[in-house]
Amino acid sequence: MNRSTRNAISLVAVGVFVLVVSLLLIAMVGSSIPKALSSFLRGIVGSTYSIGEVLVRATPLILAALGVSVGFRTGFLNIGAEGQIYLGAIAVTWLGMTFPNLPPVLMITFALILGFLAGGFWSVVPGILKAKFGLSEIINTIMLNYIAINLVGILVRTSLKDPTYPYPMSPILPESTYFPMLLLPTRLHAGLILALVCAALVYLLMFRTSTGFCMRAVGLNKRASICSGISVTGHVVLSSLISGGLAGLAGVSEIAGLHHRLIEGISPSYGYLAIVVSLLGKNHPFLIILSALGIAALQVGSMAMQRSSGVPTSIASIIMGLLVIMILARKQLFGCKEE
Amino acid sequence: MSFLKMIEIDKAFFGKSANTKVNLTVEQGEIHALLGENGAGKTTLMNILYGIYQADSGSIELEGNPVQIKSPKDAINHKIGMVHQHFTLVPTLTVSENITLGLKSPGYPFVKRKQVDEEIRTLSERYHLAVDPTALVNTLSVGQQQRVEIIKVLYRQAKLLILDEPTAVLTPQEVESLFDILRRLRSEGHSVIIITHHIAEVLDLTDRITILRSGEKVGEVATSQTSKEELSQLMVGRKLQNATKSKLPFAYDTKGFEVSSIIGAHEEIGPLSLSVPPGQIVGIAGVDGNGQKALAEIMLGIRKIKEGTIALDGQNLEHLGVKQRRSLGFGYISDDRLLDSLVLDMDLQENLLLTKYRTTDCKKHHLIDYKELHKQTEQAVNEYAIKTGAIEHPVRYLSGGNQQKLILARELAGSPKVVIACQPTRGLDIGSTEEVHKTLLALRREGCSVVLISSDLEEILDLSDTIAVIYRGQIADVIVNEGDVDLTYLGLLMAGTVERRNA
Repeated sequence: MNRSTRNAISLVAVGVFVLVVSLLLIAMVGSSIPKALSSFLRGIVGSTYSIGEVLVRATPLILAALGVSVGFRTGFLNIGAEGQIYLGAIAVTWLGMTFPNLPPVLMITFALILGFLAGGFWSVVPGILKAKFGLSEIINTIMLNYIAINLVGILVRTSLKDPTYPYPMSPILPESTYFPMLLLPTRLHAGLILALVCAALVYLLMFRTSTGFCMRAVGLNKRASICSGISVTGHVVLSSLISGGLAGLAGVSEIAGLHHRLIEGISPSYGYLAIVVSLLGKNHPFLIILSALGIAALQVGSMAMQRSSGVPTSIASIIMGLLVIMILARKQLFGCKEE
Repeated sequence: MSFLKMIEIDKAFFGKSANTKVNLTVEQGEIHALLGENGAGKTTLMNILYGIYQADSGSIELEGNPVQIKSPKDAINHKIGMVHQHFTLVPTLTVSENITLGLKSPGYPFVKRKQVDEEIRTLSERYHLAVDPTALVNTLSVGQQQRVEIIKVLYRQAKLLILDEPTAVLTPQEVESLFDILRRLRSEGHSVIIITHHIAEVLDLTDRITILRSGEKVGEVATSQTSKEELSQLMVGRKLQNATKSKLPFAYDTKGFEVSSIIGAHEEIGPLSLSVPPGQIVGIAGVDGNGQKALAEIMLGIRKIKEGTIALDGQNLEHLGVKQRRSLGFGYISDDRLLDSLVLDMDLQENLLLTKYRTTDCKKHHLIDYKELHKQTEQAVNEYAIKTGAIEHPVRYLSGGNQQKLILARELAGSPKVVIACQPTRGLDIGSTEEVHKTLLALRREGCSVVLISSDLEEILDLSDTIAVIYRGQIADVIVNEGDVDLTYLGLLMAGTVERRNA
């Protein structure tokens, strides 16, 4: 049996296994399997609106996962995309509230720059700590997540709070911050285009420029990089900046394209999902688009399933966890080694 | 009846044959050499005997009885012991703890350490393997660690000892004492198999020799009835052409590469001075672990110094980093190919790009021009005769010799002014070693300052114009090599037992 057939068989086997487990879970909660499946599929491709929903959900996942992948490629394990998304969101909210009269072109440009820098700042700090002092970026980025999430909690109750409203949230931002809508009446916004452009840029950076080459070399073999005169410190710091910056853009996109105001919990764990997306996409920008679409479809579909056949969405999380483990263990389980 | 018989052993990895119908017979009380180039299948054969690999076909007989050896544990039960090329000791444990690791010692689980220590002491005295059982392994020299490995095997009552390249890391004196130990073991009735590619040692020590070439047995001879020439011909399959060094007919008038009174940032080196004129190879001889690597890294700028100067043609460069020094024409061949020189998961092109990416000739509009890079890689592959399936294969799948050729192609590109070669032929077969030596001599002709750091004395003697002996981070003495070097004196310098003669 040659490698490619074995590979194909193992993928099919993973698919069948995950499908069987999901059907068992659906049966366990007492729902009708055909009804659940059809509502799952209709939730994803049943209407223009549902397709739009999948794309809306995929947008922040693509951006944050691109960020995660740039870090991973350089050996900077950024677990802090969640916090960096919030920083991007804070940045655009602050900009919109402080300079409400900027024309849209400037507003969006500044929002992107500021959001990138804010997210980048949140990641470059652990980046510098890692590169200079060897402190674990994993721990530090996770800790900064807590700080970022609670920082948003404080801000929406104090300086960024909407004074006319009793709940902790910012006022609606001026329309100049809004991303253009792409496919009314769906919620699809220009963030998707931003994400696709970023994917292309990340591809160019990582696989076509010498900076990207150095970053990948540092990620694969630090010693060899040092011996050939590639600065490990510099490239780790740069990659952490870009990594957090892209996650920051995800935050900007969520506010400017979707919510138009800062609220607590604007990111339902997109930052953590982004790690999964990046892993499934083998840290490659184009595969990341595919895996983000897949994860988004899984989530959107399972929400539809919950609405129309009462299957809890937690099943989607279980399936996702299972899928990741199976895909990571696939090579060992089925004995197909990477070429 | 022979003590050990391996009959018609076949072993293939991924369809590539490593051993083809190999027969090996070892008598009791015999030192038997398994001679062959790297990749000839010596270690594979011994790993089969020791139960690390299973043979695809063939059988093993011990004292006439067929045996199945499925794991090292089985091998130990059959009184077979192996000392690996890379030692398997825990540095933070004592000698006796290392020796009894994995065994249920008397008193287990509350081991009577004193009693064990006493047993080990008796054993080591019996075979003249002087080691203190209570010493921590990380305080021992390489030679002492090897003795611990041998005691470990004897403590498990091995009758047959397998030693994989045992002399690679030893000084001449340590080699002599190892050979004494092995002879003593022979006289006590033990059988010994040593894996090696050093013909001189084989002739000195062994009783019989089995020669392997490309996985096949090409001969078995009694040591007393063979010669250096016959062995090397059997081993390589052709007559060897030693790289010969001829005196340069002229001298360069630049100063070349100089380090003076340097002290390493962590005092691992120095004070140390060395001058490498252009067109000369300065060999740094010494036992592994005397600061060779630190010296190489200081020269390239990977490590910092706190005092002293480093200069190329009179230009000071101690404040420059690796990148700047490389752009001045430094090449570095590290002793650790896999860690220092290659990114194993990148392909051949990208590994060349590691130093090339700074030059503009593989770039178009600031982007890497992969077409041009591919062309240049093909050129390098042809020029250095690198054997690879495809240029896009990760270098992980190249053999050691081909990996080293790729590194040479990269480091020696663009006629470098200084080349620091650290153990450049370690782990290479004779053919590849020859290539590396020729390349270094070619560099010398072109006026490059070559620093050759090697623990292989023969290599140093063959190639160097000047030999500097390094001991504990300092140069013990510098000897001009005109083919009449006093080897005893060199050995004593390496062992640190003499002061320099005329200092």
